[in-house]
Amino acid sequence: MSTAAATFTAPPAPALGRIPGNKAIWVGIYCELTEFALMFLVYFLARAHHPEAFRDGPQQLSTLAGVANTVIMLTSSYFVARGVMAMRRNARGTCLKWLAAALVVGIGYPVVKFFEVQWNVAHGLSGNGEVFQMAYYYLTFNHLVHVSWGLLGLLWVMARTWMGAYDARDHDGLEAFACYWHATDLIWLMIFPLFYVLP
Amino acid sequence: MHNEHTLTLAWLVLLGLTLLGGVVGNAGSPGLWVTVAVAAMMAFKGRVVIDHFLELGGAHPSIRRLVRFYAVALPVMLILTDLFGPQIARLTTL
Repeated sequence: MSTAAATFTAPPAPALGRIPGNKAIWVGIYCELTEFALMFLVYFLARAHHPEAFRDGPQQLSTLAGVANTVIMLTSSYFVARGVMAMRRNARGTCLKWLAAALVVGIGYPVVKFFEVQWNVAHGLSGNGEVFQMAYYYLTFNHLVHVSWGLLGLLWVMARTWMGAYDARDHDGLEAFACYWHATDLIWLMIFPLFYVLP
Repeated sequence: MHNEHTLTLAWLVLLGLTLLGGVVGNAGSPGLWVTVAVAAMMAFKGRVVIDHFLELGGAHPSIRRLVRFYAVALPVMLILTDLFGPQIARLTTL
């Protein structure tokens, strides 16, 4: 293979100082980060005002559900990252398999959440106005909404990948979705210790 | 650009720290040093996701700095809340 041909087929390396995905998704991610920053601020103020409620709160929750959803978010995020890497090699079929795996794992998040809420209600955590429960439900339900949007976005990029809309040189849409999914993962990594881990 | 092995290692480290967090959540007792350890874990896990999943190491500085700041600011706020809780409560009481 000549040098010219090799240059033509090789995917371009991401340039330093670039915007991953596209500008629009970063507007969305900034909005998401700001929204959760305000909710985290409320969490910290509530924690300062009611330290005993936040000290006892995590023991009321199912640590197993928190760990399970963290493992789900991390694994789904990892699969999406592998999908992007496959697309950079122009391996569209492999990319689609990684994205399908990310979807299957990601669907586990609302499923675990459903059973977690059942468990909570059975154990008296019905969000009846107690400050820890209110903070917990408000933040985690908001995160669930963002995960649900992400799962719809994942279906969209899977359809686009299947239709051949992306290749090694042009897959900004796929990368933009990946950024959103990783940012949603990042927020969960902040929520998980605040509600499930801190004794 | 990251390779598959680095990404897989980062994922496994994150899973390991998550399981460790689950153990702390079940067995830990309240205290400032536990809060500091949990905050450090938050910051580290956040940084791993930012560098290896989001790949912001070579991204535009305004994006890289803001997201990295986010993953540090929250753990710091957690420590400050546990250190100065009564003062924060007094300052924010209407």
